[in-house]
Amino acid sequence: MKPWQEILSLKSTKVLILIVVGLLFLGLPLFASQYVSYLMLTFFAYAVMVLGLNLLFGYTGLLSFGHAFFMAIGAYTAAFLTGKFSILYMEVILVVAVIISSILAALIGAICVRYIKIYFAMLTLAFGMLFYTFLLKFYYLTGGDEGMRVLRPYLLGFNLSEIPKMQYLTRSYYIYTLVILAILTFVMWKIVSSPFGLCLKAIRDNPEKAEYLGVSVKRYRWYAFIISGAYAAIGGALLAPAIGQVDPGLTYWTHSGTLVFMTLLGGFENFFGPLIGGVVYIFLQDKVMSLTTYWRFIFGAILAFLVIVAPGGIAGVISSLVKKEKGGE
Amino acid sequence: MEKTRREFVKLVGGAALGAGVILAGKGRASAQTIPAKGAPSEPIRIGVMPGLTGVIGVPGTAAWRTTQIWADEVNASGGILGRKVELHMEEETTAKECVERFKKLTLEKKVDVIVGLMSTGNGLAVGPLAEELGQLWLAWDGTTQKGVEETMPKTKFAFKSIDNEAEAIGGAILTAKYFPKIKTIAGINNDYSYGRDCWESFQAVLKHFHPNVKAVEALWPKLGETDFTSHIAALKKAKPDLIMTSFWSGDVPILMKQAAAVGLFKTTKGCFTTGGGVHYTLKKEFTPEGLILGYNSMYFKWTDTWPLLTKFVKTYFDKYKEYPVYECDHAYFVLQAYKTAVEKCYSILGKWPTKEEVGKALSGIQVPSLSGYRGYREDNIMTCNFFMGITTHKNPYDFVTIDPVEVLTPSQIIKPTAETKLYEWIKGWKS
Repeated sequence: MKPWQEILSLKSTKVLILIVVGLLFLGLPLFASQYVSYLMLTFFAYAVMVLGLNLLFGYTGLLSFGHAFFMAIGAYTAAFLTGKFSILYMEVILVVAVIISSILAALIGAICVRYIKIYFAMLTLAFGMLFYTFLLKFYYLTGGDEGMRVLRPYLLGFNLSEIPKMQYLTRSYYIYTLVILAILTFVMWKIVSSPFGLCLKAIRDNPEKAEYLGVSVKRYRWYAFIISGAYAAIGGALLAPAIGQVDPGLTYWTHSGTLVFMTLLGGFENFFGPLIGGVVYIFLQDKVMSLTTYWRFIFGAILAFLVIVAPGGIAGVISSLVKKEKGGE
Repeated sequence: MEKTRREFVKLVGGAALGAGVILAGKGRASAQTIPAKGAPSEPIRIGVMPGLTGVIGVPGTAAWRTTQIWADEVNASGGILGRKVELHMEEETTAKECVERFKKLTLEKKVDVIVGLMSTGNGLAVGPLAEELGQLWLAWDGTTQKGVEETMPKTKFAFKSIDNEAEAIGGAILTAKYFPKIKTIAGINNDYSYGRDCWESFQAVLKHFHPNVKAVEALWPKLGETDFTSHIAALKKAKPDLIMTSFWSGDVPILMKQAAAVGLFKTTKGCFTTGGGVHYTLKKEFTPEGLILGYNSMYFKWTDTWPLLTKFVKTYFDKYKEYPVYECDHAYFVLQAYKTAVEKCYSILGKWPTKEEVGKALSGIQVPSLSGYRGYREDNIMTCNFFMGITTHKNPYDFVTIDPVEVLTPSQIIKPTAETKLYEWIKGWKS
């Protein structure tokens, strides 16, 4: 079945929702404030990261607590290429980020996928913190705690340096990032719907049985790890120009925790769950941070509530409400 | 180092003017209740970005409290040109979040000016943003230095704090003055750019005065470390004549307590360049006399002849039962500078000034603040006196104070221009 046929084969309401959400995102800068558009831009970058994380977590059953490592690889690639090598083409930045992150994910993944559960989580956390320490200690190269500037990149070869910063971010760069997110969402949808994706789910649910059926469990986990790392790096590379500065805090374990939080908040069992979690997290954090200095406490309480009451996240709650509605009809 | 006659006159003149400002402010309180002609009627919106948790929590909270005290006082006296001030607080956290908060304050809350930020890492992220957004940003402790080099020598909207290494330079000047016979030194500084730059500049200045001084140990605990027993053991083993540290937060009393337990400073001299940042935690029971202690840009007991300081210390103590730390004056000064610049612009233009016009008025400004006269240079870098001295137990408190109090002027401790190379400047000093 061709991709467009597949989309058409979805229930009409789902297609309609996707089209409406897509158009809403596209047209948002026309009616929303620059700041809301900016927050949405950061969401697009995080959305790419959590899509990748959920391939590993939701579909393969491996919880990474060091995924900010790959995100930082992408962000620092943008900083190095624009700042040190004067390479300003965003497409080059993205390609280099994918190459570097894939190589590193292949090396690290080869070690990590030998382990599961808490051991996998701790190993990924350890690699994330190793990179954090590298960024701090090799300050002559990385800028240390002061970080590095990220210059404004060209988009599709166009130098847009004359446009005011916020206009650039909330118009040209916004659309550019949205398009990349749309493409990568579609690619991820194809991945999880493919036989490869089904194998990952089988590995998640019963690795022994999957192995017995001829699925190379470690190899498939390794593939998922590499794809996931590449997605995180693309997200990081997209986020860096929006911030304008990268620093070791991006790879600190709490940032990896934020990615996991977004995934849990939205619901890792649903394909769009992490994206819902991402957008809710970003806007919720924005509001709560302005309201109280105890915003960390509130987020901790939300996380505890999620785990205890709604482990399926927002998508899980919506899904059960829809099911209940249908059952009542 | 002696103060110059000009600097002395400035200090004394400043004290007299400071008293005048308070009296004038009192006189204005009942007179200014409606906005001045041509001024908008709505309040002035001030964005505030204090760090309230983690290692920057103590000074950040002090600065936030001061901002509120200042706002209450200004509003009670009729506001700025009759306009009340309204504070919009967004916490200083990571660089990424600071960029978001800064944009929120500018684009959503549409503030007239943003004050705050203590971390230079955050300053480096926000400085260029301030210029790009055309938003006035008056930093407390945040600079836009990369190491000891200024990355933004020419700004219109970003007003940066005094150079990070100023206190280390001051500490070295006093070390050379008070401990001229030392031969060996050791450093214990946090493992980040501020710690490294302080250690480097401290050594450069000290070796300028005493070329034969040798560094025998350099230790780098991470920022936020709370156990220094292994570091203290290494310091005891190295047996330096003097230990220098640029610790500035909760790590100062911890180091002092753990050092006291093994009598480290009984045989070794010490220079705590910035320890006064948490001065009230340095209890007499574990903080010895005879150490060099730096209070950065404000010492709560500097003088009884500067009414702004006396009044503020009383207000702060009455409200919070603590004696204020230096970050208070960073917070007080930037607001006072903004107020003065707006009033100056208005007196010239006859209308409410734009952010750019206020920025122009801020360049080169001098205003009376809690620690005397402070200002901005033409390159928009803050200038102020630094207060250091020798710890003493002869006071009515349960913590140490300093006696004598040395006032180090900007010309002594910061390079004259943003473009000046720090170590070349130090080499050019008279010995």
